[in-house]
Amino acid sequence: MKRYFSRGPFLEGIRDMLPMLAGIVPFGIVCGVGAVSVGATPFTALAMSLIMFSGAAQIAATQLIADGAPLAVVVLTCFVLGLRFLMYSAAMAPYFKPLDARWRNLLAFLLTDQAFASTIQRFRECDDLRGNTSYFFGSGLVLWVVWGLSSVGGVLLGALIPAAWELDFVVPVCFIAILAPLLRDRISIIVFTTAALAAVALDALPMRLSLICAGLLAIASGLVADRVAARHG
Amino acid sequence: MDRTVALWLVTLVVGALNFASRVSFIAWFARNDMPPLLARALRHVPVAMLTAIVIPALVFVVPGSANLSPHNHKLIAGLAAGAVAWWSRNTVLTIAVGMATLWGVRYLVG
Repeated sequence: MKRYFSRGPFLEGIRDMLPMLAGIVPFGIVCGVGAVSVGATPFTALAMSLIMFSGAAQIAATQLIADGAPLAVVVLTCFVLGLRFLMYSAAMAPYFKPLDARWRNLLAFLLTDQAFASTIQRFRECDDLRGNTSYFFGSGLVLWVVWGLSSVGGVLLGALIPAAWELDFVVPVCFIAILAPLLRDRISIIVFTTAALAAVALDALPMRLSLICAGLLAIASGLVADRVAARHG
Repeated sequence: MDRTVALWLVTLVVGALNFASRVSFIAWFARNDMPPLLARALRHVPVAMLTAIVIPALVFVVPGSANLSPHNHKLIAGLAAGAVAWWSRNTVLTIAVGMATLWGVRYLVG
């Protein structure tokens, strides 16, 4: 423990994550509300948050289960959503290589969009292994704890709020909050347009396969657009 | 199948798959094992998958029939939220504007 842990950077990691929690807490609450709407108990909702630890996957899973999709389709869709972690894993790998297996597994479990975004800069700039490890551990741990607590908050809140308020609409709005700022270059807009058209056109496909098919088509369109852009420089 | 059993199965399987993706390059493969085509494809995953989830939620208010009219209050609220998110990059503000628009349009249009 002592070899890779120091208290100062650990606390610093927690502190630097606090502003991001403003976006995480509502999203976690939404995951709790969504879980209740498909019949999860507070304990199941907490387990979903602490084990899956991915808002996008949790919401996609609850939506698909509510639509009656087969479990294989639910799992496949969540798996593709989680493929972005491969990207983060590859980016963090060189910095985590010197750690022992226990620490590597622990930090990998805590790897999320937010933890990646808020720590990668520090890792690139500073090569203090012990400090960086503790900093990442602090950031990831506070996210995990707050994520679990806010989903339980959502379970309690979801039971109180009348259905007429359409609170479940917070789910797509949360996704829009992540998605819209990504649409700043031409290739992203091509990927967005393909996914949107395909998701609507393929909606009649059985077993909610439209979602995963539209996603894969859009990724393919992005690869084609990359190639065209590279050729025309 | 019982809903609780289904939720637990999905939680455990997706949890394991997510952990596998997270730990992949950190513990299992060398960093330069990733084929360049996969690296490029992965960059498009967030936009592609989020769009595929969001757009049907705005367009298919009634399952099975697309509604692109101004009477679709979810579509209007989604567009407003998208504009706010694009300009401000602020999650809390986006949620506030999205929900306020949803309730406002529903109240006005009925």
